[in-house]
Amino acid sequence: MTTIDGLLERRRIVFCVGSGGVGKTTTAAALAVESARRGRKTAVLTVDPAPRLKDALGLDTLDARPRRVPLGVGVHLDAVLLDVRRTFDEVVRGLAATPEQARAVLENRLYQNLSGTLAGTAEYTAVEIVFRLAEEGGYDLLVVDTPPARHVVDFLDAPRRLLALLDSRAFAILKDPTVILPASGSRLAHLVLSAVLRGLERFTGLELVREVGDFVRAIEALTGALRARVTAADALLRADGTALVLVTAPEPRLVDENTRLTRALAGLGLPVGGIIVNRMLPRALFAGGTPPPPDGLAPALVARLRRAHAELATLAARQEAVLAPLVEGTAAPVLAEVPLLPGDLGSLADLEAIARHLFPAPAAAPDSAGRVGR
Amino acid sequence: MSNWTSSKLTLRASGSYDRDVPARLPLAAQRLVIVTGKGGVGKSAVTAALARAVAGAGRRVLAVEVTRGGLGPLLGAGTLGPAPTVVAPRLQATALEPEEALGDFVQGILRFRMLARRLLESTSFQVLAAAAPGLPELLVLHRLLGWVEERRLGRRVYDLVVVDAPASGHSLPLLAAPRTLGTLTRFGPVAQVLARIQALLTDPSRTLVCLVTTPEELAVRETIELHRELAGPLGLPVAPPIVNALPPRRFGRRDEAALARLEATGGAHAYLVAARYQLERRRRALGQLTALRRALHEPAVSLPFLFAGPEAPGGVARLAADLAAAAGLTA
Repeated sequence: MTTIDGLLERRRIVFCVGSGGVGKTTTAAALAVESARRGRKTAVLTVDPAPRLKDALGLDTLDARPRRVPLGVGVHLDAVLLDVRRTFDEVVRGLAATPEQARAVLENRLYQNLSGTLAGTAEYTAVEIVFRLAEEGGYDLLVVDTPPARHVVDFLDAPRRLLALLDSRAFAILKDPTVILPASGSRLAHLVLSAVLRGLERFTGLELVREVGDFVRAIEALTGALRARVTAADALLRADGTALVLVTAPEPRLVDENTRLTRALAGLGLPVGGIIVNRMLPRALFAGGTPPPPDGLAPALVARLRRAHAELATLAARQEAVLAPLVEGTAAPVLAEVPLLPGDLGSLADLEAIARHLFPAPAAAPDSAGRVGR
Repeated sequence: MSNWTSSKLTLRASGSYDRDVPARLPLAAQRLVIVTGKGGVGKSAVTAALARAVAGAGRRVLAVEVTRGGLGPLLGAGTLGPAPTVVAPRLQATALEPEEALGDFVQGILRFRMLARRLLESTSFQVLAAAAPGLPELLVLHRLLGWVEERRLGRRVYDLVVVDAPASGHSLPLLAAPRTLGTLTRFGPVAQVLARIQALLTDPSRTLVCLVTTPEELAVRETIELHRELAGPLGLPVAPPIVNALPPRRFGRRDEAALARLEATGGAHAYLVAARYQLERRRRALGQLTALRRALHEPAVSLPFLFAGPEAPGGVARLAADLAAAAGLTA
């Protein structure tokens, strides 16, 4: 049977993917805590932690610098907040040959509007942070929490999409719309096209066409360096040391979402290596029909207890029914089931409790651990 | 203040589920209801229930989901298509794909079929359309506006359009689109469309934005942020939050004491585990409900957690009944 140990020990980067609200962030943090406790130098990169988890991980400010989370004597975990909104500016600054070149891009009004949306630059930024930490951080394992399902595809495909844009004809067209005319095209045709584009601008009121051109011309100066960097980041995503873990929960809505997501990821050449099912009710408690009540209770209370138990049995049956279809479409092994713990989780103690479910064998003490699979 | 009293009633919820939700969802004459919230909180179930509740009260309703999702099955239909289909008396449903909306939009504005097609097929236009801030969102809104304004033989086709909108992270760009694009477009047909959409969205007599959440920390936090953003800078009419999947109250205070005694003396009986689990879930949920009310200064409309799920027979009907009560709708 494939276990999480088996999956993690051969990897340097693990991405937790899945739909919104299934507990990706918490799962990623729990995996990282356990990995660190076993003596591997580990960092968790998280997208949107709940306040309690944020506090537990010491992520009080928004930057891409790792924070050290002490886990006991001589053991620690590093935590990094992935801020996908801000950092493409830094990529631009890093790649520009001169400050003027950087400024030409950064001050473009369209860049300011577009840097979040254009061909996945925001997503690429996150990949860039992962790349940088993998290259320079000296970590044994990076556990990466990702944005919800639909966007994780954009996220993991960001390098390729950015490359495709840089190399595309559309990019050239945006820079100078008249390139769609044949080289031998008459001067008249150029004039007509320019007039049409100007007319379109006037007609629609969108002052975009020209500004997009300015933007593309400005950013083009950077494309050589950007292309090399993006290619390297893309190779890292596809390397043997990288694995994808699908985090899910036993809910009907997730059956289709998981199938679609797995298919989309496989289409990118990024197969899911295993599945973690969160929020399972402990089956044994609710599977065996109605047990006899404890002795000596008022009948009214027994009735209420029976009802509370029956309701959870209904929920457990619903979960059981959805479990098979949930993993069927994904063609990957279930690595662990984590019980539905009441309320919101986030403290380090919570993470360790989850880790005990993720790693069925009792976790080794930090001092005797160390060489897990190395 | 009467509002406080009613909120306490909601929280104190006697016996069964919180039946006594006060009538506070202003839904009587609305033309457009946009339902949003964090992923996984049950937006589609609430959208389906709202649509059923309003159709049940005699108004003609169109339920719309933006991109593929689970709305169709929750309304007792299969997967929804791009054209509205009848799923129940007075209730139609459809799915809206932003790419199709692009075609409608360009044809509507350019009027000349040939020119529109040429433009749509050109790579540069596609890249431009995908890159233009707020354009895909504008297209969705434009399509919704079309349904709200649609008339046949001088009579409205739909009294109400209910939208199962994208999760909150993407609803904000959607609802901010008229403003985002407005800074780039000052005149011409696009500007006119923007103005009409903006007028509809900000008119509290026609539009209502419903934020759905579960009583869990992350979802509640996101709801508070989104509520402030939508009601504040964007000036949209936002309804009191809808708290979905509130764990029911199953045990009184005396029960709790008895259970604690049992736990202290006996082992882990399955009944006790179940009871403790339900008590704990309810306790934490009420804490989140309080946090939500404190942050937004208004009580939430709450819907019960359904153990068999909203997709089970009677699930959506149950939620619809509660929402109809909250909106003061009668059949």
